[in-house]
Amino acid sequence: MTGRQDDPDVSLLRPYLMTSGRTKPVDHTIEIEAQVMTSTLGANSVQNLTFERRDILSLCRRTMSVAEIAAMLKLHIGVARVLVADLAALGYVVVRRPEAETPQDLRMIERVIRGLEALR
Amino acid sequence: MDSKPFAEPTSGAPKKPPAPVKIVIAGGFGVGKTTAVASISEIPPLRTEAVMTSAAAEIDRTGHVPAKTTTTVAMDFGCITIDDEVKLYLFGTPGQDRFGFMWHDLVVGALGALVIVDTRRLDDCYPAVDYFEKAGVPFVVAVNKFDGMLNHDLNDVRWALAVSDEVPLVTFDAREKLSVRDALLAVLRNTFSRAQARAAAP
Repeated sequence: MTGRQDDPDVSLLRPYLMTSGRTKPVDHTIEIEAQVMTSTLGANSVQNLTFERRDILSLCRRTMSVAEIAAMLKLHIGVARVLVADLAALGYVVVRRPEAETPQDLRMIERVIRGLEALR
Repeated sequence: MDSKPFAEPTSGAPKKPPAPVKIVIAGGFGVGKTTAVASISEIPPLRTEAVMTSAAAEIDRTGHVPAKTTTTVAMDFGCITIDDEVKLYLFGTPGQDRFGFMWHDLVVGALGALVIVDTRRLDDCYPAVDYFEKAGVPFVVAVNKFDGMLNHDLNDVRWALAVSDEVPLVTFDAREKLSVRDALLAVLRNTFSRAQARAAAP
């Protein structure tokens, strides 16, 4: 499950390179389930970007979570967070984060219950 | 509500992204977490790796402050569209002891947790039960019925796990979509009744 023991140097080094040495995103608290959607500005700016940033903008034409971005692009979650926060700061993606009070939000919980009950 | 650090796009966004909500699925290795996610997720389960640090050490009430450690944890996850505006994520996470205090990131804001139990290896889920109790995350214990057999009486399981009567205990089959759905509904109803009790408290 943990993997990586065989090759610790590579797994630690590469993410740092990818994020230009930064590990702290603009907002490092961005949740793994936060929804990321490419903005019109982002869609028009794809050609100016390279590598993972470009891949994220292409992927997020369909809205998806930070976790999905990480899995699909084979990035560590922490790296995906940095890149998404960067793109959000540039206005290239719109991010919808979870509401902090969701676990106490009776209407939201009921809504999820109804949605699950409808599954067949 | 207050968490809106990113500016809304000025160029007319076609649609607002859905609100994400999540349930955490915990339990020992090979207990059926990934199977459960796969049974009900509308996308094939995805795997990602997170480097987690023990930054959540402050919730350790034992007074013991562990040295800062870093571990790579594999997480399998999936999602379910609830309606046009809400998407439910299911995150499966290893329940072993060494990950015990690294879950804060994953658990914060969760609607609740499902702790999957294999009755042949009950102690595998102790760290998860401990963690959710201490963190105040409402959770349900779900006994996975391997091969359709349930070898232990549920009361024995409750006794062995030493969980209070308030913690719902259910049985389910991780391979069956509707069975997983019902286990998740147990999680949500448990969270609902706790939130309701809290709202009613003076």
